[in-house]
Amino acid sequence: MNNNTAGKKMLSIVLLIAGIIALGAAIVLDIQGSKFAFRGALLIIGAIVILIGMYEFPTIEHHRSIINFIFLFPLLFTFAITVIVPMILGIFYSFTDWNGVKMNNFVGLKNYQTMFKDPAFLWSLLLTVLFVIVNMILVNVIGFLLALLCTNKFKGVGFFRAAYFLPNLIGGIVLGYIWQFIFSNVLIKMFHLKFSPLADTRQAFIAIIVVYIWQYAGYIMLIYITGLTTIPKDVLEAASIDGANATTTLFKIKIPMIAATITICTFLTLTSAFKQFDVNMALTNGAGAMKFMGRTISNGTQMLALNIYNTAISQNNYALGQAKAVLFFIILATVSIIQVRISNSKEVEM
Amino acid sequence: MRRALATATVAGLFAALSMGAMSVSADEIRLFNNKVEINEGLNTLAAKYEEETGVKVTIESIGGGVDAQATLKGYYQGGNMPDIFVFEGDKDYPTWEGLMADLSDMAWVEDTEAEYTVDGAVYGFPTTTEAIGLAYNKAVLDAAGIDPASITGPESMRAAFETLNEKKDELGLTAVIGYGAEATALYWSTGQHLYASYIDSGLSRDDTTYIDMMQAEGGPTFDDERLLAWAEMVALFNEYSDPDLLVSGTYDQQVLNFAAGKYAFVTQGSWIGATITGDDAEAYNEAGNFEIGMLPYAFIEGQDTILTNSPNWWGVYKDSENLDAAKAFLEWCASNDGGQQILVEDCGLISPYASCTYVAVDPYAQTISDYTAAGKTSAWHWLSMKEGLGQNATAVIFQEFAKGSYADAAEFAEELKSAIVSYYAN
Repeated sequence: MNNNTAGKKMLSIVLLIAGIIALGAAIVLDIQGSKFAFRGALLIIGAIVILIGMYEFPTIEHHRSIINFIFLFPLLFTFAITVIVPMILGIFYSFTDWNGVKMNNFVGLKNYQTMFKDPAFLWSLLLTVLFVIVNMILVNVIGFLLALLCTNKFKGVGFFRAAYFLPNLIGGIVLGYIWQFIFSNVLIKMFHLKFSPLADTRQAFIAIIVVYIWQYAGYIMLIYITGLTTIPKDVLEAASIDGANATTTLFKIKIPMIAATITICTFLTLTSAFKQFDVNMALTNGAGAMKFMGRTISNGTQMLALNIYNTAISQNNYALGQAKAVLFFIILATVSIIQVRISNSKEVEM
Repeated sequence: MRRALATATVAGLFAALSMGAMSVSADEIRLFNNKVEINEGLNTLAAKYEEETGVKVTIESIGGGVDAQATLKGYYQGGNMPDIFVFEGDKDYPTWEGLMADLSDMAWVEDTEAEYTVDGAVYGFPTTTEAIGLAYNKAVLDAAGIDPASITGPESMRAAFETLNEKKDELGLTAVIGYGAEATALYWSTGQHLYASYIDSGLSRDDTTYIDMMQAEGGPTFDDERLLAWAEMVALFNEYSDPDLLVSGTYDQQVLNFAAGKYAFVTQGSWIGATITGDDAEAYNEAGNFEIGMLPYAFIEGQDTILTNSPNWWGVYKDSENLDAAKAFLEWCASNDGGQQILVEDCGLISPYASCTYVAVDPYAQTISDYTAAGKTSAWHWLSMKEGLGQNATAVIFQEFAKGSYADAAEFAEELKSAIVSYYAN
């Protein structure tokens, strides 16, 4: 028995050392830019060997935590590689002059200074905030009204639910091009316009809002429907017996009962409107001339995400794009944290 | 025991997988192309080369709205760099500086004047010549009794436009000129190509006066008189363009209508030749396969050059394992007995090589070679403009002008300057 434990310990230590050597060798090879194609496999084999070594380690008091670690490892490792490492690299690149291929210098806070001095970027920021506010209100109101409509009992209610939800299943880019056709070809001929609404900054912005609502209201409607159907029937019945009319029921019973749903929907629309990209790109690609801060700018309908993309790709300024992305991340993270706080406190209350 | 077995299996699997990845043959080169329209022709070229030399060439075509340079950067970061890749001159050179092989000692360099050179070292292999100018339908001009050679400046251009406009109905024209200033998809036509005529029209090939003023240290400066004359020409185009096309039309619409003989002029260069004889062949046939010529954008009396250049070059990745194979392929492509026939006849390229004896069936081929022979060409210095200028700054100003948002050409010129200065400030 004793012998067996000692043997196991030996085996475990040998495996651990072999694994660490394999891992180390793979990393060193990679840093040296070796063309040896087996290095990726070597890395994974090393990691697996280490895990087996840990599992085989004869200990009783730490056995549980070792098992926990082994089970959590794949998830943590993937998360680190796909989220944490790129984020740190991204923040790092925002302080350099990286162009997507190589970096020559550290430029300190220069990218951040450029960004806040650039009227075009500030306009994008302002426009995004405007877009978020308008959409948060309109999408929720329209989604809620559609939900009220679709929770009534009438013929074909299933069809309407599906029809309102359908636009959400179409990809944003495709949807953008379909609507571009509608604005630039159909509307022009129908109303004998001189030119497409998309060629005018204000009208194009309204067009983006319309398309976004069309795409997103159905989705929000579904969530509201779920909320509305969870309202207990007896409460509604009691209200109608007490003589409450439809308006009173709506404002005094239904809306208070689905307060949690409203919070969820508000934040859903908030974050998704902030991240608006595909419809924006397909419809106008940000074009639109206007005066802002005394300068002529050409990105009248360009929202933040698209601005970041165009800065990096079409202006070939990856470092500046990265700096903007860091700001974007901070804004979204703040919004998300507030969201989590608020919905947690709501849960406690209920 | 079962555990050990499982471990061995996993290890074996990984070993097998990585062995698979290692087996890349040395006799294989990858070419990264950004013109989808010549993809088929390039594949013919690759097949011929493999047949002759046994070296396999893989053509990778990226285009249709995808930013090829961004894709290429991704390839580089992923260690998946192609052996030969396309780049667009001064704009892309800084990105790949130090990563492109020096091609100075290759034989084809002697055979062309269009190679891409930095500080005396050759980095880019030219494949074609493209021309920017005011294309016209010769049949329509003849019918209206206008001699294209008589259009030499703003007055004669306006006179010709007015004559054509009066005879519009009898000539079957929708409008005198097909000029589109839509800013989202056609930004390159106005923001880059039309603006290019301000930078280069009438200048000798090595004259960099106006591009230098734009790229000046302290921010862009302009020759106001020249810019205003040029803006007046844009105003003329606005006045006589097809209203359906002008503000929110598409490229397809523009080229098709020209091919169908509905416009006497079109503000597109030689690249539409392939579309006219390809996708739009039916309409072109019905319109009588008219002869196409090209006029200089003569916004100042006496400007007599069209703008010709190699629009992009093929560079060779310096650290490629197949460096020599890639160079050999380029050498073969440039030689008359090698790839030239396919490049000219199948890809519709206009050869920049002196020894090439093939002539493309492109309707523009004749006019380009006439101008080249007469020495009446200017270069494309707009290629050095700050990246994304047309798309992100200037195209919208053309569109606004087309919409009628500006009172006159002078206001348009001022707005354009302001937009360029803002763009260069970052």
